Amino acid sequence: MTAATSSYPTIAVGELLREIPRTARSDMRVPVRIYADDELWRQIADDRSVEQLVNVATLPGVVGYVYAMPDVHEGYGFPVGGVAAMRESDGVISPGGVGYDINCGVRLLAAAMDLDEARPRLEAAVHDLSRSIPSGPGRNPRLDLSTADVDRVLEEGCRFLVERGLALPEDLERLEAGGALPGADASLVSVRAKQRGHDQLGTIGSGNHFVEVQVVDELFDAAAAEAYGLHRGQLTVLIHTGSRGLGHQVCTDYVRQMDQVMVRHGIRLPDRQLACAPLTSPEGRAYFGAMCAAANFAWSNRQAITDAVRTVFGRAYGRSGRLRIVYDVAHNIAKLETHGAETLCVHRKGATRAFGPTHPETPGPYRAVGQPVFIPGSMGTASYVLAGTDAALGLSFGSTCHGAGRVMSRGEAKRSRTGAEVRRELEGRGIIVRCPSSGELAEEAPTAYKDVERVVDVVHRAGLARKVARLRPVGVVKG
Amino acid sequence: MAFTGRSGGRTYVEPVSDTTIPAATPALPSPSHEIVDHVSEIRLRVRAGSLAELLEEAGRAAAQLQLRGADATRGTWRTIEVSAPDRAALLADWLNELIYLAEAERWVGADFEVDSAEDGRVRARVWGVLIERAPALLKAATLHGLRVDDVPGGLEGQVILDV
Repeated sequence: MTAATSSYPTIAVGELLREIPRTARSDMRVPVRIYADDELWRQIADDRSVEQLVNVATLPGVVGYVYAMPDVHEGYGFPVGGVAAMRESDGVISPGGVGYDINCGVRLLAAAMDLDEARPRLEAAVHDLSRSIPSGPGRNPRLDLSTADVDRVLEEGCRFLVERGLALPEDLERLEAGGALPGADASLVSVRAKQRGHDQLGTIGSGNHFVEVQVVDELFDAAAAEAYGLHRGQLTVLIHTGSRGLGHQVCTDYVRQMDQVMVRHGIRLPDRQLACAPLTSPEGRAYFGAMCAAANFAWSNRQAITDAVRTVFGRAYGRSGRLRIVYDVAHNIAKLETHGAETLCVHRKGATRAFGPTHPETPGPYRAVGQPVFIPGSMGTASYVLAGTDAALGLSFGSTCHGAGRVMSRGEAKRSRTGAEVRRELEGRGIIVRCPSSGELAEEAPTAYKDVERVVDVVHRAGLARKVARLRPVGVVKG
Repeated sequence: MAFTGRSGGRTYVEPVSDTTIPAATPALPSPSHEIVDHVSEIRLRVRAGSLAELLEEAGRAAAQLQLRGADATRGTWRTIEVSAPDRAALLADWLNELIYLAEAERWVGADFEVDSAEDGRVRARVWGVLIERAPALLKAATLHGLRVDDVPGGLEGQVILDV
């Protein structure tokens, strides 16, 4: 743990909301608001998240408040779990406000069968998943794309995968933005980025990414669960990954470019990683087009993994193993959205969009209850299905948390537990584990993360999203 | 064969996590690096007598992180040139070049001979190994907390690596 307890003045706005006033530092343009209970606040104040939130509050064109979700933790530039909105007219866009893993996100698949029916062949199915979906920094030789195909993925997203037989037409309406942002321009993505990504479609990657087989073990909102097609005992699959090396290179390219043009735009920042450019500038528009393209790559990556999971479940369970997409949400992205009378560029880094029932971007099947939001727990702990709320628009630009949030560095995690110990503990709880490296298993031990139940409880009580269902893991394929 | 390294400066890992840099010792007898805890990423600190040695040592640190236990096949030399607006950005861009080559070509730079290094430009001969599958690839070198400072006896650099 770092020893950096926040020294900024804090005002309690409510039981779960603290504010750092705009006057706390002379260069702040807006206040900062942090959603947390007392326990989470102690963890937040103990790393550099607060200072990073204050730095974000200095960005040109930022409006309202800079928000921190209860899973916020120290990152680089923006903290992970931060939300900031900039006016399109005179605000900036910051690649660091999206992060290197552009459109890292989560997709939930619901099976047409329950765990009881699946259990006899579950271990074989999880093993088959680990063989069929490359993890770690692995490549996918079955989907090595030509340059032209990479460009089509970047501009058409999951629509291209329908054409290639890797997606069903009905899948598209259950993806955020239909799995393709319209502003994408493949010509703005560097050759280097395309080289890094051309054979990575359908791969998990490393770090905290995973494919997890789960069971719905508790319902909190029956109406929303019914709308999402979820019932107790049902088997589900949660996919957590992003745009892989392609997205990493897009961020690297544009952070470098913006770092060099900020002086020309008269922008001075407290942290170089916040490098940014006006949304209306050539550099700002170029990054937005490249970021949208990388986001489309990420949705396509999760789609290709979905296809592999469907193939495995078909082999294991026949027609009973068919899988329907519940939804797919991004938690590292910047999007142009209408808030009140203004068009804003909402940066969500480690935060999830959570629109309510009346929002026009909430997909048709979920208009009665709000869009689904998925909050993965740490490896081996429960994940949650939430529903977006209309109130969240006024509370957080329609955003909620994205996960549990780290409290322990990777090194500290490895020093506290061995990979073998973590594996034994998970298997002792009946969870089938497949991981290419014991070290990686130790780095992602549940003790390295905040308590996801506490994080979800805060967003529920604060009105940022409603609890719908809890998912318990039964099989983990770790990246 | 398992990669064991061909040459390099002293390497040590110090499990501390604050950003307060201890007062530098007057003499820096050989390049060294530390991999320091960060909540979600990796903080790399490098010390050396000159910019050329600093970049060589940073390259060795990246190799250490990317080659953990990886099977390395044949090695080759190549020339790498990187330019940047200042020497701190040069450290980040140098590492980003190595990260790009590791992922795009599965070629991990492991031994470094810098021919020339000035504040905004480096030219180096790099010996690297082809690997089939790296256990831990770095995503990027960030600009957060990035610095290369003059210290008694040489230079000290810091860079946060996204992993």
